[in-house]
Amino acid sequence: MNIKANRLGLNFGNQRALQDVTFDLTEKKIYGLLGRNGAGKTSLLSILASFREPTAGSVTINGETPFENPKIMQQVAFLYDKDYQEESDNIIGLLQGIQPYRPYFDMEYAEYLVEKFKLDRNKPIKKFSKGMQSAANVITGLASRTPITIFDEVYLGMDAPARDIFYKELLNDQENYPRIIILSTHLVSEMDYLFDEVIILKNGEFLLQEDYDSLTSKGARITGEKQLVEAFVQSKVQLNEEQLGNTKSVMIYGKLTDTERKTALDKGLEVGPVSLHDLFIHLTEEENADEKLS
Amino acid sequence: MKNYPKITRDMFLVLMSWTFGFIGVMIVINIIQRGINVIQGAEVDGGFYVSLLIASNIYMIIIGIISIYFLPYYVENGVTRKDYFKGTLLASAAVSFVIPIITLLIAIVERFILSNLLNISYKMQNLNEIFNEAIIDTDSGLGSIIGDLILSVILSPNIDPSGNWILAIAVFALNIFMFYLLGWLISAGFYRGGIIIGLVFIIFAFAINIVKDTLLRVAMDLPFSARFSALEPFSPWIAAAGILILILFIIWVIRLLTKRVPIEI
Repeated sequence: MNIKANRLGLNFGNQRALQDVTFDLTEKKIYGLLGRNGAGKTSLLSILASFREPTAGSVTINGETPFENPKIMQQVAFLYDKDYQEESDNIIGLLQGIQPYRPYFDMEYAEYLVEKFKLDRNKPIKKFSKGMQSAANVITGLASRTPITIFDEVYLGMDAPARDIFYKELLNDQENYPRIIILSTHLVSEMDYLFDEVIILKNGEFLLQEDYDSLTSKGARITGEKQLVEAFVQSKVQLNEEQLGNTKSVMIYGKLTDTERKTALDKGLEVGPVSLHDLFIHLTEEENADEKLS
Repeated sequence: MKNYPKITRDMFLVLMSWTFGFIGVMIVINIIQRGINVIQGAEVDGGFYVSLLIASNIYMIIIGIISIYFLPYYVENGVTRKDYFKGTLLASAAVSFVIPIITLLIAIVERFILSNLLNISYKMQNLNEIFNEAIIDTDSGLGSIIGDLILSVILSPNIDPSGNWILAIAVFALNIFMFYLLGWLISAGFYRGGIIIGLVFIIFAFAINIVKDTLLRVAMDLPFSARFSALEPFSPWIAAAGILILILFIIWVIRLLTKRVPIEI
């Protein structure tokens, strides 16, 4: 399976939701899709899942247009923060209803997850708490085992232990049945270890797609005596700085060479890692904009 | 792989489960009515068949309206809009035939119980007579248009099943199928275009229904409202063809509305 987006655009009337988004997802990996509110994440995912058509550009999955393509559509599952207020079926009934439409659906695994999340098998889903409804969504997505599985903020309302079960099961099942998984999230610091690759959208435009490790290794935090730090980071892309007395800490973007690293250490500067969370915040900040990346 | 036979089966089962609930309620109401008839010693007018004939029009509009909510459900589960459309269409056509058949069977049982076991005289009420009285009563003003509209939803032209029961079932099925399609059309209009467009589709659906009733009257050689007297010279076969074209037209419009409709989340 591969997904190719080519200069994708989506407008709602005069309002632009996506513009010129181009990327390739070719490997069976977990992709983290990040972006601030209104960055166009859900719009993009809606197009991948054939919920809507793009107004410009194209998406292909295995070389075919997914929209109204039965072969492709049954291989793509899009789980989003869904309103289950009207769902009078219980969890087992819901899963049994979905099973015939998903060729790789594993009912045994689904039932195992129902136990794991401690969901009441006889209760109508509309009577579930928000977190339990989210768990129902997660179960649907995992047990469907679709070659392309998209989770858009599915953990809403789930408590920390339930989210932890989700992350563990996701990693486990991905290991046994690798597929393309796209996780769209705001909980960057909590979920970053799940991502193999990261895609960031900003204001409806594609900002970057990069391997998680290489992306985080691109950032560094240089801490030390003010003058020394300033001299060292002068030629670097600076994402943010903090100062306390004569000690300054600057977050920089761009890979450090071994020599640079050595120089810094020799000068007594501390070179620390930067979390994806920090990178995400500063890369998507309004004024930091694209010039820092270019 | 073809998905629509699965949708047809699933939709048929869902629609039938609602239909059994509906028929069950109608049976209970009917038994209470008959109980009152027995106590009062009155004769039974029409009975179950007529009750269902009238109630199922409204019932079919309602389930037609609900049908649009299966569209996002199916698309979420990887089914194309086209397969949803085909499956729902076939399932609703099947349900439209099953309802009259079940109704007729229940009516036969009812008639047997009433006339043989309880000795109550049983008269099949002729709906078309009621309609004829109603259209004679109304004049040609605005009131009559509204009257016609209401009448057209409550009373469709029908045939007494004690005569040609096959034709009676066919006409019954045609009427309720039409109401299902109109309900579906209205909800598809709302789903696609929002409230204003949806309201336009309600008016559109009423108009279609009146045209259908009139064509059906011409086709079955029944009297119809003077407003459509220009249609008198048409032969029943042309009218029947007109009904078919009308049905295909509605189906086509529903497909157009849902063909590329975005699923809003």
